[in-house]
Amino acid sequence: MVSGLAAIVLAAIAAIWAVHLDRVVTREFQGRLWSVPARVYAAPLDLYSGAPVSANDLEQELRRLHYRRGDPAAGPGIYRRIGNAFDIEARRVRFIDEQRDPERVSIHADNASITSMRLADGTDLPVFRLDPPVIGSLFPIHGEDRLIVAPADVPPLLREGIKLIEDRRFDEHHGVDFYGVLRASWADLRAGRVVQGGSTLTQQLVKNYFLSDEQTFGRKATEAVMAMRLEAHYSKEDILVAYLNEVYLGQDGSRAIHGFGLGSEYYFAKPLDELEPAELALLIGLVKGPSLYDPRRHPERALARRNLVLKEFAEAHLIDAAAAKRATAGPLGLRPPGGSYVPAYIDLVRRDLKRDYAEADLAAAGLSVYTSLDLRAQAAAERALTQNLQRLDLRAPVRGEHLEGAVIVVEPSSGDVVAVVGGREVDTSGFNRALDARRPIGSLVKPAVYLTALETGRYTAASLIDDAPIEVKLADGSVWAPQNFERTVNGQVPLARALAESMNLATVRLGLDVGLPKVAATLERLGLESSPTLNPSLLLGTVEMSPLEVVQVYTTLADGGFRTRLRAVRAVLDEHGRPLKTFKVQVEAAAPPAAVYQLDRMLMLVPTHGTARGAAARLPQGLVVAGKTGTSSDTRDSWFAGFTGNYLSVVWVGYDDNRDTGLTGAAGALPVWADTMASLKPVSFDPIVPDLVEDRWIGFDDGLETTPACSADAVVIGVPKDARLPANPKCVSAPHPASPHPTTGEKIKEWFKSIVH
Amino acid sequence: MVQKHRPLTLAAVLGAALLLAGCASPWPRPSPGTNPNAAPAPVPAPAPSAPAPAPAPPAPPPSPRPLQPPRENHLSPATRSLVAQAHRLLAHGDIDGASSTLDRALRIEPSNPLLWIELGRVRLVESDAHQAEVCARKALALASGDHSAQAQAGRLLADALRAQGRNPEAQEIESRPYMH
Repeated sequence: MVSGLAAIVLAAIAAIWAVHLDRVVTREFQGRLWSVPARVYAAPLDLYSGAPVSANDLEQELRRLHYRRGDPAAGPGIYRRIGNAFDIEARRVRFIDEQRDPERVSIHADNASITSMRLADGTDLPVFRLDPPVIGSLFPIHGEDRLIVAPADVPPLLREGIKLIEDRRFDEHHGVDFYGVLRASWADLRAGRVVQGGSTLTQQLVKNYFLSDEQTFGRKATEAVMAMRLEAHYSKEDILVAYLNEVYLGQDGSRAIHGFGLGSEYYFAKPLDELEPAELALLIGLVKGPSLYDPRRHPERALARRNLVLKEFAEAHLIDAAAAKRATAGPLGLRPPGGSYVPAYIDLVRRDLKRDYAEADLAAAGLSVYTSLDLRAQAAAERALTQNLQRLDLRAPVRGEHLEGAVIVVEPSSGDVVAVVGGREVDTSGFNRALDARRPIGSLVKPAVYLTALETGRYTAASLIDDAPIEVKLADGSVWAPQNFERTVNGQVPLARALAESMNLATVRLGLDVGLPKVAATLERLGLESSPTLNPSLLLGTVEMSPLEVVQVYTTLADGGFRTRLRAVRAVLDEHGRPLKTFKVQVEAAAPPAAVYQLDRMLMLVPTHGTARGAAARLPQGLVVAGKTGTSSDTRDSWFAGFTGNYLSVVWVGYDDNRDTGLTGAAGALPVWADTMASLKPVSFDPIVPDLVEDRWIGFDDGLETTPACSADAVVIGVPKDARLPANPKCVSAPHPASPHPTTGEKIKEWFKSIVH
Repeated sequence: MVQKHRPLTLAAVLGAALLLAGCASPWPRPSPGTNPNAAPAPVPAPAPSAPAPAPAPPAPPPSPRPLQPPRENHLSPATRSLVAQAHRLLAHGDIDGASSTLDRALRIEPSNPLLWIELGRVRLVESDAHQAEVCARKALALASGDHSAQAQAGRLLADALRAQGRNPEAQEIESRPYMH
């Protein structure tokens, strides 16, 4: 009687437990089935006649986009190359502003650029975009990343192969393969512990949902019940596809690689439906033990496992014996490591989107995020940073210490952020120094001081300033006595030279003359978001900024005084490809173009006559660049910020724990900057001379007007039109003859009069 | 085509006309063949070893880029086709699409004032007169030395200012020499 009651109670408890598990597992399955994390795309490459894309570059881009060599008539995604002529059958692609249907294009290129483009019917094609490369997803849930594969895109060999290797009776069982369990239990009993899986795909799926590797009997019972409940609710097809998108296939730093879609991308850099039998066999073999059979860490073990899978494929007649033999003889065929994923950039994307979207929408709503990322620029910046840091580590005072660094590259006029490197471990998403390391900027602040001076109209690049010891009484009564980096004193020097050689004493004198509040206001106009403390040491860059903030400020200098909001995300599209939000170019007029031109002319002297002379050896000959070195006190931080005609980049190098690096901006950050720029097909910085300004020659040392024929140290500066410059009597028949034309100031006065009368 | 041109108010037209009639252009008109942006003026320079110079002959201009040749901005075939596409999108009311297409053109020619003028026109259509104004100012800066582009940028700037109710500033722009 009592035992009967107990049985009823137990049965009731079991039933309640089963109902509970049913609800838990179906909720999870539903959630996952419909949750497609936002996909992130890099910027598509625009091709046009004259675009700096060589024939080899073009082929590299096509391969990156998984276009195959072959007969383009066979379908989209195939190209033919004969010499420098390409025939491409472009895929159907969604861009921000249009949907492109498959189309055939013929492109000719030479060793440097695109020479012509035509459509199939022979008409001229003025501009053509390659597909935007997909770079992964935003994956806030548990650090898991996946690229969801739709049922139609699952290759038949994968469908059959995974069942063959992992769960032969998948099509018959109801979630649990009792024969398999018996077999496994027998093995477990003999061993006295759990040694064999015997899990069905459904059980594995359930296990993956709840993230536990625990192999207890209780755990397995829960799994079994959940698996059976899943099978009761959903079709085999649903469960198989969910499994293929869920299964864990490896680890990429802190990113877990889930599903065959991303697995294919991560190991082979190909879409799933383009994998060869050998490649599919490798991925299927990985399921048994992603770290045990990791093809990068244990290539021999992975090869043996792959070949075993291929042998089973052949025995089950999934592939014929000849194909199996060919596949077995082939190498692993992994893509080269690195460059597949850009956590530091994705980090910036996520922060930009957080302002407008809920985390849940990004994780699950199937959004497409179109970014400004340029994969070539990203690779160039990563390479430049890691190679230079390895070299610099060798000369560090203590061996075994690792320098860190950060690089950001942008297109100044659009504000497009094209590359972000957050540290030397470029593949892992650790501390993002590009965004989060706020450090004193040292002499990077100086252009703001000189710009403020130029804007007053009281100074030109030729004006003399005294680089001599200076003492400043601070608010707390103490005395501040700055020194030059080399502890030298240079006397009367023109502004252009004081900035190029980064003289501290001259800069402090200039900054105090124009006024600290004005310098701080200039910094804010240029793009600094927080107000700096008004301490005289601000003039030497005690203000702390992240590389990203420095980029914003320098973008304004590189773009004629127009401040463009930095932009990592260009647009977000919904699951149907409809634009939800476009992030438009946002520009503000931040500083007068005439003053910025004069400053830029001075910044162009830094790499030719000043602290950044070392850059030339790493840059193409004759390339005109502008920029500024920065070194914080005790050489803790090494900075360079500079621009060419097409890109701006900011580099920081230092130790995470803020120790002395012994590196100036020129020794640490500058080589990284120059190597990055050199790989980006740079064009010369060539600012447009504003209407009220003209170029003149002065002696770099004395600031007197001269000619290049007369003075070896003659340099070009920009000055307000008709400015009267003291002349070098040996070179220029001084002083400027009273000009027959009115000066600019006189013209403006005259003009006002004409309005009034 | 949806390219919107804001009608000038009668007062503004009258004002501009009065200004035109009332005063000759205050700026010295460039004589034919000379370029107002030519820089720098040739500075007479004696040969280093020459004796004290009397009227020195004009030396070759010292700057490596002494003469800003009269610049004329035009669109390349690539950007021209993108501008045409932007106009088509705009005609269908797709302002964001037009904007993104012009973005694309600007990535190809970031310093072409004509493209900034196009972008500014789109901003006016979407009633963002402030951004239209900044686009116009940027176009003006980039158009230095190109009267035709300056005039187009000036018209955009005046329209953008009027859209913000800043009529006197708009009139001032319209009275500038390059507008005629």
